[in-house]
Amino acid sequence: MDVFNPLIVLLVLAGLYMAWNIGANDLANAMGTSVGSGALSLKQVIIVAGVFEFLGAVMFGKRVTSTIAKGIIPVDSIKMIDPHIVVIGMLAAILAAGFWITLATLYNLPVSTTHSIVGAVLGFGLVTAYQGLIAFSSIDWGLLGKIVASWLISPVLGAVLAYIIFSIIRILFLQKTDHPYNIEKKFVKLQILTACYIAFAHGSNDVANAVGPLYAGLDALGVVNTVVPTWVMVVGGLGMVIGLATWGYRVIETIGTRITELTPTRGFSAEFATATVVVLHSFSSLPISTTHTLVGSVIGVGLAGGLAAVDLSVIWKIVASWVVTVPAAALTSAVLFVGLMGIGL
Amino acid sequence: MKKLEYIRSVLNVFAKSPFKPLAIHASKGTEAVLKLSEAMDAYFEGDMDRVMVLSEEIDMIEHEADVIKQAIRSQLSSSIMLPVNAEDLLNFLKPQDSIADVTQDVAYWLTLQHNEIPDDIKEGMLDIMSKTVETAKTYEELVGTLSDLLETSFSKKEVEEALSIVPRVEELEHEVDVIEKRLVRLLFKEQDQLGGTGVYHLTELIFTLGKIADKAENASDRLRTMILRR
Repeated sequence: MDVFNPLIVLLVLAGLYMAWNIGANDLANAMGTSVGSGALSLKQVIIVAGVFEFLGAVMFGKRVTSTIAKGIIPVDSIKMIDPHIVVIGMLAAILAAGFWITLATLYNLPVSTTHSIVGAVLGFGLVTAYQGLIAFSSIDWGLLGKIVASWLISPVLGAVLAYIIFSIIRILFLQKTDHPYNIEKKFVKLQILTACYIAFAHGSNDVANAVGPLYAGLDALGVVNTVVPTWVMVVGGLGMVIGLATWGYRVIETIGTRITELTPTRGFSAEFATATVVVLHSFSSLPISTTHTLVGSVIGVGLAGGLAAVDLSVIWKIVASWVVTVPAAALTSAVLFVGLMGIGL
Repeated sequence: MKKLEYIRSVLNVFAKSPFKPLAIHASKGTEAVLKLSEAMDAYFEGDMDRVMVLSEEIDMIEHEADVIKQAIRSQLSSSIMLPVNAEDLLNFLKPQDSIADVTQDVAYWLTLQHNEIPDDIKEGMLDIMSKTVETAKTYEELVGTLSDLLETSFSKKEVEEALSIVPRVEELEHEVDVIEKRLVRLLFKEQDQLGGTGVYHLTELIFTLGKIADKAENASDRLRTMILRR
């Protein structure tokens, strides 16, 4: 492997930037609820998140990575025509997704890294189809439909599961006790487990948003085999943990101090539901948004009467972000691809 | 300029809880009633300057309560989901807010004229005042149970405990009613000593004072509806 190949360096850097963003915000969101309830200190949560996010990414992240790298668009057919196109296309995709995520984060919009990267990869595929390199029908629209459907289903599933879990806790414990605060104390311990679980789940699904295109690019360059190598997953895992350690802790702090409503029983319900839904999707090779699933789960706890006040208008903001993010990321990625090819990179 | 935060978060899904401001709002009512009780003592001591000062303090408390009430109302947009019916919540906020309003009216009325009051009437007035204070405090206690209700997500036991306070408020309101009627009858008997304006002034004062407990009872009744209809 020629580590001085500028394309490899660019791909890895872009992948790391994406991973950093995911760690700094999405992972931090998933972990913030555990700090808010006092289950873990800020330092502890960073260590727990670091370890389990990394484990999730390395051990269980390859399925979704393959989907993003090779599932949606026929990367191998393009590679046969010219591997260079794949390299530049994937670079354009990460850069476009990274650009949208940066913009969304600056304006605090509920945009998902998953939606950005799926849109960006699709954008690259559409350009190659437009250029006649591949047929439009060779893009896996069926899979794309499944992915989009999973974006709708996952928050709903999170809500249903969180509703059921919290209702069980309420009926079995909260309504039977004279001392609800003691129950909460016990759930603080359980929340340490769900913190690990949600970090693992997040790592297994969201790592793909950073390393999916990175892997496809490296594969086209002939640096890696047809199987996703572990070191690529390590790059993604590392990037996310660095993101958490260098910026995510601030996001965790902000969330932790503002979410006082989410007591340990409520936090446990929302986290357990979210992690389960995300792991299930990782297993099904479907890239979903952990953050959106978490929002769904929180609403589920609210529907079960567990929260003092839930703002449902966030649902429309999320739906709007779906509708805008995919085409916007696709267009940006397409333009970047044409531009990068144009300057002869 | 707004500080730029590089954050995308789930925070937006958490709306501000109206229950804490509701409890603070209820405590403003009690605070006003306690001040009124002080003003009543000053009135009987003939210290009308003190009555005036306290009346102005009650004005301030009433205003604070209004600000909290408006904040709660403006928070509850249609997209906010609460564990109770939002309309029921606003329905009990209204009479709860009237506690401070009516207290303000009584305090103002108190500043208008000083009467020489026979002992039996004075005793009755102090009696009705202390019952009103007790009603307001019991009502505040009822509102205070809301936080436990939320914590246990409305466990049967907590609901029963909360609802057991409502009849206590109702009983106190009834006691206030009884004293009020007896007292007004007494006023008319003493009209030779009190004079026409004296009777008018004190009758109006006692009727308005009686309304404080009415409002508390009304609010507790609606609070019960909110808890039961959840």
